[in-house]
Amino acid sequence: MESLSRQKRINLLKERMLRQKRYMSIEQALITTRIYQENEEKPVIIKRALALKAALQEMEIAIEPEELIVGNRTKGVRYGVVSPESGGLWIDKELETLPTRSQDKFNVKGADIKTYREVIKPYWQGKSLEDILKDKFGEEFSAISKVAKINQTDHSQGHICPDCDLWLQMGPEQIKQQAQQKLQSENLTNKQQNFYKAIIITMDGAQIFMHRYSELLKQMAAENTQYKKNLLEMADICGFIANNAPESFHQAVQSLWFLFVILQMESNASSFSPGRMDRYLYLFYKRDIDKGSLDKEKALTIIECLWLKFNQIVYMRNTNSAKYFAGFPIGFNIAIGGLDENGNAAENDLSYMFLQAQEDLGLPQPNLSVRLNKNTSQNLLEKSIAVVAKGSGMPQFFNDEAVVDTMIESLQIAPKDALDYAIVGCVELTTQGNNLGWSDAAMFNLNKALELAMNHGKCLLTGRQMGLDIGGLDTYDSFEELENAFAGQIDYFMGKMIKACAEVEQGHMDLLPSPFLSAVIDDCMEKGLDVTAGGAHYNLSGIQIIQAANIADSMAVLYQLIYKEKRITGTEMLTALQKNFQGYPVIKAMVENKVAKYGNDVKWVDNIAVKWAQYFREKLTHYKNHRGGLYHTGMYTVSAHVPMGENVGATPDGRLAEQPLADGGMSPVYGRDAAGPTAVLQSVGRLDNNLTSNGGLLNMKFLPEFFATEQGIKKFAMFLRTFVDLKIPHIQFNVLHKEDLQEAKKNPEKYRSLTVRVAGYTAYFTELDGKLQDEIIARTQYDAV
Amino acid sequence: MKNRALIFDIRRFSMHDGAGIRTTIFFKGCPLHCIWCQNPEGIEKNARLVHFPAKCILCNYCIKLKDNAVTMENNKIIIDTSKVIDAAEYEYICPSGALRMDSKYYSSDELMTIVKKDMPFFKYGGGVTLSGGEPFFQADFIIKFLEKLQLAGIYTAVETSFFAVWEKIEQALPFIDTLFVDFKIYDNGKHKKYTNMDNILIKNNIKKVLQSKYSNKVIIRTPLIPKYTATKENLSLIAETLAKWNKNVNYELLNYNPLARAKYQHVAYDYCFVEDKPLYTQAEMNSFYSIIKEAGIKNFR
Ligand code: SF4
Repeated sequence: MESLSRQKRINLLKERMLRQKRYMSIEQALITTRIYQENEEKPVIIKRALALKAALQEMEIAIEPEELIVGNRTKGVRYGVVSPESGGLWIDKELETLPTRSQDKFNVKGADIKTYREVIKPYWQGKSLEDILKDKFGEEFSAISKVAKINQTDHSQGHICPDCDLWLQMGPEQIKQQAQQKLQSENLTNKQQNFYKAIIITMDGAQIFMHRYSELLKQMAAENTQYKKNLLEMADICGFIANNAPESFHQAVQSLWFLFVILQMESNASSFSPGRMDRYLYLFYKRDIDKGSLDKEKALTIIECLWLKFNQIVYMRNTNSAKYFAGFPIGFNIAIGGLDENGNAAENDLSYMFLQAQEDLGLPQPNLSVRLNKNTSQNLLEKSIAVVAKGSGMPQFFNDEAVVDTMIESLQIAPKDALDYAIVGCVELTTQGNNLGWSDAAMFNLNKALELAMNHGKCLLTGRQMGLDIGGLDTYDSFEELENAFAGQIDYFMGKMIKACAEVEQGHMDLLPSPFLSAVIDDCMEKGLDVTAGGAHYNLSGIQIIQAANIADSMAVLYQLIYKEKRITGTEMLTALQKNFQGYPVIKAMVENKVAKYGNDVKWVDNIAVKWAQYFREKLTHYKNHRGGLYHTGMYTVSAHVPMGENVGATPDGRLAEQPLADGGMSPVYGRDAAGPTAVLQSVGRLDNNLTSNGGLLNMKFLPEFFATEQGIKKFAMFLRTFVDLKIPHIQFNVLHKEDLQEAKKNPEKYRSLTVRVAGYTAYFTELDGKLQDEIIARTQYDAV
Repeated sequence: MKNRALIFDIRRFSMHDGAGIRTTIFFKGCPLHCIWCQNPEGIEKNARLVHFPAKCILCNYCIKLKDNAVTMENNKIIIDTSKVIDAAEYEYICPSGALRMDSKYYSSDELMTIVKKDMPFFKYGGGVTLSGGEPFFQADFIIKFLEKLQLAGIYTAVETSFFAVWEKIEQALPFIDTLFVDFKIYDNGKHKKYTNMDNILIKNNIKKVLQSKYSNKVIIRTPLIPKYTATKENLSLIAETLAKWNKNVNYELLNYNPLARAKYQHVAYDYCFVEDKPLYTQAEMNSFYSIIKEAGIKNFR
């Protein structure tokens, strides 16, 4: 029916999507289990490929008649998919509580619980990644977990930007043929042969999957007169791209979506990023527009249909992980603008349409990012700000002036790849299509390490001996002694962390090879090597530094009050910390009021953050990861500052035991940035960019009034221009009224589509845990003065 | 303190006091005393030690100092300003920041260091605004300071009541890029009643500046205070007079600021409203603007 307007179509689909309940799904888990049982003797990579192919053949599928982009990995939308090969333990423990847990709830059907426990669990026990790591290294990991939290232990890696351009140029058929050719080469190892065979199997599966949609569309067309034309057109598209590389814009977008659905079916992981979609889709768009076969309105409708799709896949995490990454961020990150291959500012119609789609839909996905640089047009800048002003927290901004050179200089990345960088997940920086960045390898809690340095290696919360006993605040005679002890604790835990990371990587290599993904990551095909085994051109590992703001504030207090002004003794401070400041109101008041804080453009304090982050980063360069690549650092936490804070006792900056750490990663502690946003930028600008080569996060909240007028938007543009000049890698804004949030907490049903930025991503506010909601409400808000 | 100025606040990222992203410096001391004053802490011309009860943790450190200027009665801190010998010592000793000077002296170099921190932002059109209190109350200082700012390439703005000697204004004008002048009440009797000073000097200065070569960088403002300034009569008289002096005058009406009352708990004055009045709505603002339009104003903001 041609009369369906864009708004109508999109609203209808959106409403229908949001109304659907989320369920846990074991459909694919059952298929995978069966295939593994039937093929016990085959190599893991072949089993994985066969399991994916079977899922592509057998999983139930569904289509909405109004959709212009079809496909999902389960029949229902936003289902939580169980992947027993990666993680089983937690699901068994949480089957009963998934529907009621505080964060990211899923409904569970009674029959599924039974099937899971009787069919799936018995097979995978002791075989899944989680089980194996736990059996072999469980104690080792948990001994260091309060300082170094090791990630990727119970799910596939994800966090990668596939070569979408290659996928669109070739399609599954040509990729399959390429693998078949490779298989004919001489001197292949067994492993290589299996790798190519696995790719062929998965590409077969991909083609079958697309044909199934084509068939279903035809069937629906036969019964549905209203949308017959639409359905038949879609059937043609799906059939065509199953066998050919896409030609039209519509085909290209549909093909792209299938790519991401299948990647999700193979890995069930967070953060497969489309990257610079306005660049690689533009040729298709331009060709159709020039031919007259596409108009802008149709193009925008297709884009908005895709935008809806990005919201239909969510990622089910265990309860603990859901605390760290609340709101099931799935991390479809799209980067627009930026630089072209010659270093000139890039933008096109699609950049603006993506912004428009974000403005129209206001949903949490995709995670839209704008790459800014000195030559970004005023138009793109102001349009982006106008979309931010709508309050969905998007787009977020990245800074080419900070990122490109850093990638080249500190990660040895080729200039052409650095110019073409994109973002995975929330804020993690990556090159496109050729990089297994392993950007979420671990989080290192510097504040816990400092706690151990102050308290003889003992945990303030439990009294347990966790680190080395190098001394305590009661024994150090000078600030240098304290610093040396802090460094000692960092070194001690870093060694253990690196070992653990290698063990996790080995687990992924052994158990979760990913042939479909490898087919779209450059160099894997050439080398005949799976991406988990180091097949990608770049192989990095990122460790997050948690949290430099609290470290700066705490160290500043220790330095000034104990060692410089001698207003309190080390022993007094240590006792106050042990007592969580109970009975020490004067010390508490002094640490809060008498010492400058990070984020206020006070150089000596900001430099403490730089010093310790640099210490950490420098130490890391002494190690290589398990795939032979470099370690580097990021400064972002998503929502991990809350649980990470729960692990830390009272800190010298006046933070009470178990309270959250600073949010963001580069941001000051909330409420302590009294000198305003320009001072925050100056402070954050002091962090060297090699510290955030894995991604940095600066979070700022503004009231909507700030953007209310054209004047306001212009001033905001000036603010961002200076942000670019100061070479800060990232910034994002929350535009909210406190009252909005309080109201939303009370009446969630009225605010179902209200989104907030939790950190590097946007989530539905009403779906966040109450504690996190309060925390967001309490965050600093800037008012224009 | 000739070459230093008494400042009661410095705000970076100030958005409403001129173009772009600005730093606003608030000079202490004002010859007027408007009963609706939005910055009452800026009226008094001397620096004072003040106590913020909400921050106080009742630790008694302050009452132990030798000058006995601070005492405590029923958990209430009382300051005898006349006895204070070294106010800085009180500031240092108070662990919570509850005892604080309400203002501080700065040399122009010190101020330059502070404002220059935001130079990277001023580059795109912001600058420095001098406000108060009444900046011309410390006229000799600001004239030199404005010149320094301009030499440093910083765009300058001044907000003034214009209750000042014309010669000083004239000396400052070359270094000011935008001058915001309040014209609050037309009727002299009422002006005197509500601001404590009569408006003859102010009117003369406004007339002179509007008829000078600097007129195009002047913006006249009337703060809309319910009952006091926001009346049809007052606004049309002001507008007519302005238009008579210079038909191209820039004139702006400022909406009432409902947040001022909170500041009065730290000063010895009373606020003119018991209850907070709501902001004027866009419709009300429009009808105020049509009054001044009718009276002959062409350039309004
Ligand atoms: S020193 Fe400060 S906190 Fe202590 S009683 Fe005096 S004013 Fe209150």
